[in-house]
Amino acid sequence: MAGLLAACARQDRQAFQRLYEMTSSQLLACLMRILRNRALAEDALQDVYVQVWRQAIRFERGRGSSWAWLIAIARYRAIDLQRRERRLAAGSSDDIAEMAADEEPHDSLMALGHHAAAALDGCLAALQSRQRDCILLSYQNGMTHAEVADQIGEPLGSVKSWIRRGLTALRRCLES
Amino acid sequence: MKPNQADVLDLLAAEFVLGTLAGAARRRFERWRDADPFVERRVRAWEDRLAGLAFQLEPVTPSPGVWVSIERQIGPVLQGRWRAVAASIAAIAVLGFGWFLWQQLRVAPPAAEAVIASKAGEALWRVELAADGEYVEVSAVGAVSYPDQRSLELWALPPEASPVSLGLMPASGRLRLVLDERQRAAVGLAANVAVSEEPLGGSPTGAPTGPVLYVAAIART
Repeated sequence: MAGLLAACARQDRQAFQRLYEMTSSQLLACLMRILRNRALAEDALQDVYVQVWRQAIRFERGRGSSWAWLIAIARYRAIDLQRRERRLAAGSSDDIAEMAADEEPHDSLMALGHHAAAALDGCLAALQSRQRDCILLSYQNGMTHAEVADQIGEPLGSVKSWIRRGLTALRRCLES
Repeated sequence: MKPNQADVLDLLAAEFVLGTLAGAARRRFERWRDADPFVERRVRAWEDRLAGLAFQLEPVTPSPGVWVSIERQIGPVLQGRWRAVAASIAAIAVLGFGWFLWQQLRVAPPAAEAVIASKAGEALWRVELAADGEYVEVSAVGAVSYPDQRSLELWALPPEASPVSLGLMPASGRLRLVLDERQRAAVGLAANVAVSEEPLGGSPTGAPTGPVLYVAAIART
């Protein structure tokens, strides 16, 4: 997939289309979980891939996995949008029920992503349950400390320290 | 025990990636990341570590209209790609974007053009400014020798102002570069365009950093 991104950096449109076909459903899942609205998430998905096309070159400059790079672009976009929306208005329709998956594009590429996920799963399982819950709520749902605290009904200070300790423990586990 | 600075930075990077770094602090950290490669590496490392969490979510196939919109935003592939064109046209028709079809088929003479030629006088690219000034279209018309692991970047040269990047030159085929307001103003004022050699992906500074390989006059029509 790094090869596909390199081809995108050379303005290869066919490679870009293949990259889209292979990765868009996973990115849309991330966007929908955070934005909780399919139309909004699909708009964001467009922005994400236009950005990927224009910035594919930046991927080569840094190191790291291509999946992680794509997912990061999508999540940051969703987090920015979600917080902007929240500032503008409170409460929106909850389309999360639409999140039912209608397809499973499990090719070798997906396997690659899942392989990385498997190592992380082991380390996640080793965390205290509160640490794990807080990290998942903020990563997958894009929640802030205060929103996590609200969601699980625990004090803000505890949530902050669970997240910090959880992250530190995760890093240690993944590096061991 | 007091955490040292590197630990604090790493935790900030982690909370930025996680999303719990919010508000003004998030924007500040984002600028810091963009400006400092060391910070960016720490962020990348956390993006890698946590990416697996995204795979716990069930994939959701996007509607076909999403890809059509993406293609529209990045500009159509025109040369020898009939299949892609046919596919977009079909999808567009289904979605009822008749006006877009019309735009695709519309033929309007360019508002201005420049021919970029080698020192020997062989035409290499034709650069055409669309009649509505919204984009320029760059077509490779000669044997372009594209430097390995480098990019060629197109600049508008407005009088008494800094060059304004218009985008990267295609090695072959035709490429449409949609212009923003600043680029449109620069193209409107410029008498010349230039092509410089830059690091892969284009100038990191916003100004030409490599040698200027070609300059061509803009002919207004």
